Amino acid sequence: MWQTLVFGILNGALYGIISLGIALVFGIMKYLNVAHGSLIIVGAYGSLFLFRLGVDPFASIPVILVALFLGGAILFLSFFNRLIEFPEAAKIKNSLLIGFGLMLVIDNLATLIWTGDERSMTPSYSGITFQIFGLRLPLIGLSGAVLALLLIFVLHLFLSRTYFGKAVRAVSQDHEAASLMGIDVSRTFLISFAISVSLASIPSVLIGLQSFSPTAGIQWFNKGIIVVMLSGIGNIYGVFPAGLFLGIIEALSVFLFGATYREVTGLVVFVLILILFPRGLLGSGAES
Amino acid sequence: MKDLKKAWITICFVGLLALVPLLTKSEYLVNLLVMFFLYVTLSESWNLQGGFNGQISLGHSAFFGIGALITRLLWISKVPILLALIGGALSSILLAGIVGIPCLRMKRGYFPIGTLGLAIIAQITVGNILPVPGSLPSEYIVGYSLVSRYYLALSVATLSLLVVYFVVRSRMGLAFVAIRDDEEAAEAVGIKTFRFKVKALLISAFLAGLGGGVFAYHQVSYYYQSPFELSWSFLPTLTTFIGGLGTVIGPIFGSVCFLALNELFAFTLGEVHLVIFGFTFVMIVLFVPGGLMSISQKILSLLKYPGRSRGTTTLSN
Repeated sequence: MWQTLVFGILNGALYGIISLGIALVFGIMKYLNVAHGSLIIVGAYGSLFLFRLGVDPFASIPVILVALFLGGAILFLSFFNRLIEFPEAAKIKNSLLIGFGLMLVIDNLATLIWTGDERSMTPSYSGITFQIFGLRLPLIGLSGAVLALLLIFVLHLFLSRTYFGKAVRAVSQDHEAASLMGIDVSRTFLISFAISVSLASIPSVLIGLQSFSPTAGIQWFNKGIIVVMLSGIGNIYGVFPAGLFLGIIEALSVFLFGATYREVTGLVVFVLILILFPRGLLGSGAES
Repeated sequence: MKDLKKAWITICFVGLLALVPLLTKSEYLVNLLVMFFLYVTLSESWNLQGGFNGQISLGHSAFFGIGALITRLLWISKVPILLALIGGALSSILLAGIVGIPCLRMKRGYFPIGTLGLAIIAQITVGNILPVPGSLPSEYIVGYSLVSRYYLALSVATLSLLVVYFVVRSRMGLAFVAIRDDEEAAEAVGIKTFRFKVKALLISAFLAGLGGGVFAYHQVSYYYQSPFELSWSFLPTLTTFIGGLGTVIGPIFGSVCFLALNELFAFTLGEVHLVIFGFTFVMIVLFVPGGLMSISQKILSLLKYPGRSRGTTTLSN
């Protein structure tokens, strides 16, 4: 029971990092990037490629981060920047459709390039676990949780302390007023989108250390969107506790109903939240 | 007059398709056409809700799947196939009523993602409860005739086409389109928007369930969860957008394109046709909201009135 819970919490930290990218772009721009999961998988393949060249998975994070940042910028400039002027509901709908099309393209291209086989990276330390109070704590899961906390802290500093972060918050509150104040809205959107995609680099390495296949993207996107809905749209700080919450719920459901219904539990919670609390559970959901 | 012409064209077309199994012995062709009818049924059903009522659903695999599941279970427990088909379609309406209606109450813009969640729940649950392949009992396999599948699929596709055509031309169809174009304005002129969204959902689920029933009748052996796979939600979204959202002919056109590409790339790994289709889909969402239908109409009008278009091009040159 306690062991399941520990694994649930560690999984939850991973869900937290995944949803950070989705929450950023959804909270600020009202874009729902369905392809985020597929981009994570692409990052995982990149990391695997570097791993085979002898680069440590964690050391490959900066490389993947820069590559995904550029990829995100290209995706935004070629597809998503056309939706900037749309009203909110149309933005969500159209970005979802575009993301869905991109997901099909990316997933099937990935299958063509890397075949449909399950892959995983196994560095020498992948089996290491610590024993505390009779509970097993895997090293990789722990480092994932530490990275998640670190990432949220850095993002918090970025959004609250820098001039650009201020611009991002202004745009997310009211993009017309922001543009009247002299903020370049489309540039802010471009950089936020690219940052959101580059945030996929950390989960891609962590997932790469578990196992992944070309079509796993939507599954991870699901986790991310469930967490975003749990934490409340536009609330980046709620993402980590919401991720932990999902991880714990899943662990409990494994304990109660067996492992096969793990995915279902999260989705049921998600649909119930959408129906009962459209603004999310935690936080007031700072929305325009 | 125009309606009469349309009716004649439809009758001739369906009549021609009805002759196909008499003229050919090729099982490949007949099977291909059954899949085509299935795609048309599903796409038209999706189009009624997504194209005419503006509610983009990614949960149609659940309606299609439950239709297939219930039809199959009724049919192999010796219920006549037509009754089983109706039972499947009714179960699909029931599912839409229980889980789909709450989704319509979600905040604007969240309907697609909510229905996607439901579709995944349905797939995993059915995969857990019935993890076995559902093969037909041997006495059914002995009496299997492809031709009867063909005619059933053809009739269901024609039925769904007619349903969509007449619903769209009725007062109800006007209300659907009004809600799609501007929900607040529709509400303001006295349309009970929620009630009409429910109607669109239920009719759409009914047709999708019928399509699922045809699938269950046609396939000899399949995993019970395979009609619940998400691709059955993605397929009608793709074909309808690419063919022409909110037109009756568009989904047929899109289905033809999809099947043609599918057959062309059938033997490559990783489904190249989905790469091409996904990319076309993105381009169409961004640049051609009317789909391929609107492009072909533009080309037709260019051919019809060449003078007008030439005039504008010379002006701009």
